[in-house]
Amino acid sequence: MRAVFRLALLQARRDRGTLAAWILGIAGLGYAAATAVTTQFGEDNERAALISVAAASPAFLFLRGLPDGISSGAVTFFQGYSFTAVLAGLMSAFLVVRHTRGDEDQGRFELVGSTRVTRVSSLYATLLLGTCANVVLALAVAAGFIGAGLPAQGSFLAGMAVGAVGLFFMAAAALVAQAMPSARSANGTAAALVGAAYLVRGAGDALGTADQSLLHVTAAWPSLLSPIGWGQRIRPFTEADMLPLLVIGAGTAVLAGVAVALRRSRDLGASYIAANESGPDRAGAGLASMLGLAWRLQRGGLASWCIISAALGAVAGGLGPVVRDALEGNPSVAELMSRIVPGDAGLIDLFTTAMLGISGVLAAAAGVEAVLRLRAEEAEGRAELLLAVPASRLRWLGGTLAVAAITTTAVAASAGASAAVVLALSQAGGSGPGTVLAAALAHIPAALVFPAVTALVFALASRWSSAVGWGALAVALVLGQFGELLGLPTWLQDLSPFRHSSAMPVEAFDPEGALLMAVVAITASAAAARLVRERDLAA
Amino acid sequence: MTTDATPVISTSQLVKDFGRTTALAGLDLSVRSGEVHGFLGPNGAGKSTTLRILLGLIRPTSGTARVFGIDPWAEPVRAHRDVAYVPGDVTLWPNLTGGEVIDLLAGLRGGADENLRRQLIDEFDFDPRKKARTYSRGNRQKAALIAAFSRPASLYLLDEPSSGLDPVMDAVFRRHVRRVTADGATVLLSSHILAEVEQLCSRVTIIRSGVAVESGTLAELRHLTRTRFRVTSPASPELLSTWRGIHDLRVDGTAMEFDADAADLGHVLEALATAGVTGITAAPPSLEELFMRHYGGTAAPGRGSQKDQKSQVL
Repeated sequence: MRAVFRLALLQARRDRGTLAAWILGIAGLGYAAATAVTTQFGEDNERAALISVAAASPAFLFLRGLPDGISSGAVTFFQGYSFTAVLAGLMSAFLVVRHTRGDEDQGRFELVGSTRVTRVSSLYATLLLGTCANVVLALAVAAGFIGAGLPAQGSFLAGMAVGAVGLFFMAAAALVAQAMPSARSANGTAAALVGAAYLVRGAGDALGTADQSLLHVTAAWPSLLSPIGWGQRIRPFTEADMLPLLVIGAGTAVLAGVAVALRRSRDLGASYIAANESGPDRAGAGLASMLGLAWRLQRGGLASWCIISAALGAVAGGLGPVVRDALEGNPSVAELMSRIVPGDAGLIDLFTTAMLGISGVLAAAAGVEAVLRLRAEEAEGRAELLLAVPASRLRWLGGTLAVAAITTTAVAASAGASAAVVLALSQAGGSGPGTVLAAALAHIPAALVFPAVTALVFALASRWSSAVGWGALAVALVLGQFGELLGLPTWLQDLSPFRHSSAMPVEAFDPEGALLMAVVAITASAAAARLVRERDLAA
Repeated sequence: MTTDATPVISTSQLVKDFGRTTALAGLDLSVRSGEVHGFLGPNGAGKSTTLRILLGLIRPTSGTARVFGIDPWAEPVRAHRDVAYVPGDVTLWPNLTGGEVIDLLAGLRGGADENLRRQLIDEFDFDPRKKARTYSRGNRQKAALIAAFSRPASLYLLDEPSSGLDPVMDAVFRRHVRRVTADGATVLLSSHILAEVEQLCSRVTIIRSGVAVESGTLAELRHLTRTRFRVTSPASPELLSTWRGIHDLRVDGTAMEFDADAADLGHVLEALATAGVTGITAAPPSLEELFMRHYGGTAAPGRGSQKDQKSQVL
């Protein structure tokens, strides 16, 4: 037991900066959302107007969650819960993979495993650290809510609802780490699970039933498949219910137990999903250049990203008509909807637009991830081997950046194509396939800004590239989702590249914004190419 | 074999600071065309830093470095045109096979010589079908060595290349170093393994704390050290201890062991002949001794420190 505590302290020591940033960031987001609600929507009638519009808009329900009354707490929880829960899940998943499969990859585990500890001591330590992190996170979120003036009891419950989701994905990631052969694949799978939990909850909420007052929506069954959906059912600011907390806790315990059992019976470095151990003894013609290498390293990831975004596109195209049909059964919703967006197609378009907005974020994330391979190549020493040949750093960076741009484009295109096909097959109306595809492609210029900026940071100071790359995406997301709610000044909101994307098909295509973003992306890329020659390669 | 007057590698007063630590403190290094130059020093002496500067991967804080007369920081591509490099700590792409890695690296240099590639894979007993993530340290090193040796280069920069190899593979490695030098290539071999340097290198530079403390041919360096004598002699130990140039005398009955300075060898041999000996072995000084002398001392490194140290020992 002592060994477990010592290992947990060691892991906490390694993680202190990272975890502090995550926890403060998530709690800060909660605080900002709560402050926005209490200041911007101070009156009951203002909140009632907001909630009833949301209740009648499936896109809103999909992205945010379930409206549940008009108290400041309830409105905050509706606005902010899904996002904070996703962030808590990601924080916990990355934490666990870092200390389990990540340490095995790097060979550190062997060193620790040779001391007087059991095979599972380190996993216990990681679960202990993850639990502590989520308890602190729950308290921090609660403190943020209370600080913004929300009732204390509800704030604590809301914090627990966030922390519980974190705990669930901590255990899920522990299981994933046993199964996957590398930290990279484990992180990807765990993050995809978090994303899936969000999407499944979104589908359940979008298909939910609004009551006559349009102030409460009850989720449909898919929400029960998602821990985020369960967390939402705690309803901390209205009729608090602890049962969902028990359900999440039970799920966490089962997953963690299985992960421990698997770790106990597994060889060090082995995985239940085995990676290919052998392959061709000769390189194909494609692997003869920096560009070829970049493509080879990225193509697997590219395929995964495209599958995810195609799935999102299918939801975008397929769910719209279903949602519309469901809404038509509720006369008060239909009445409100017809006032907000006239016409049938309007509702579907609204939904498609919101969904394709997410695909733009996915496209940006895929591009950032592709560029960050440069950082891994450098930090792990492969760049040294690669740059000792007669090829310039420019070609090295350029090859990866080109592949990142292809990745971003392909991810956006596959979301658009899949949405267009599914929507056309449903014959439910809405925009034509060409317009839907164009709507997805319209996000590409803004999405490209993120890999370009990541490359620029890599060229200047590579060890910051990961933090700045992902941080910029997170900030843009928050600005986009919460900027108006928070009443932020326009110039600040305009910092987010996505603000310059056209929200097609609801809006018309704005060539100016797209051109501006393309220029920013190209300028940042050119600066990166210029500056990468100017610094020492990291040892 | 060419022996141009212009050195293939030359550095002058090379300094490299990483923040507050100084990795190189004014290194002078000159490697002539066609030689195997040993770059000898303990861990952290600055060997890898020097090689990384020679490859243009990092920029010297001050001083100059030239490879084929080219500044590698300003023109890395030109400087690399005929260079093969094996880093000290080889990491490969986990999801590429060894064969793919070899083709990639040799391909970026212009393509492997097929016969050489086959021969090297065979001799190093290397399985090119395995993914790199499954390779041990020695196997990763083999992949980098095969990639380096499978295409002829004029300059081979090898950073502790055999540290992960077993003795049999080490012999293969040495054979290929001799092969490329027979073809006229220049090799800079960094190492802390003395035997390797003694076997392969014609000239040696010893680096300590970022400065070259000694440079020359093995013969020249040996002059700086002592010869170890083991003699059986009726002469009294007291008599021997009065001889000039005798050090560390140990006596066991009639068997005596002592070291003699190179400069006093003639004198010692004359004295031994006069005293009479019934048995004698004289071992040449090993580099080990040279090495220990430079690293064993506590004197601060820098210009003239070797003299200070020597006077301490003497």
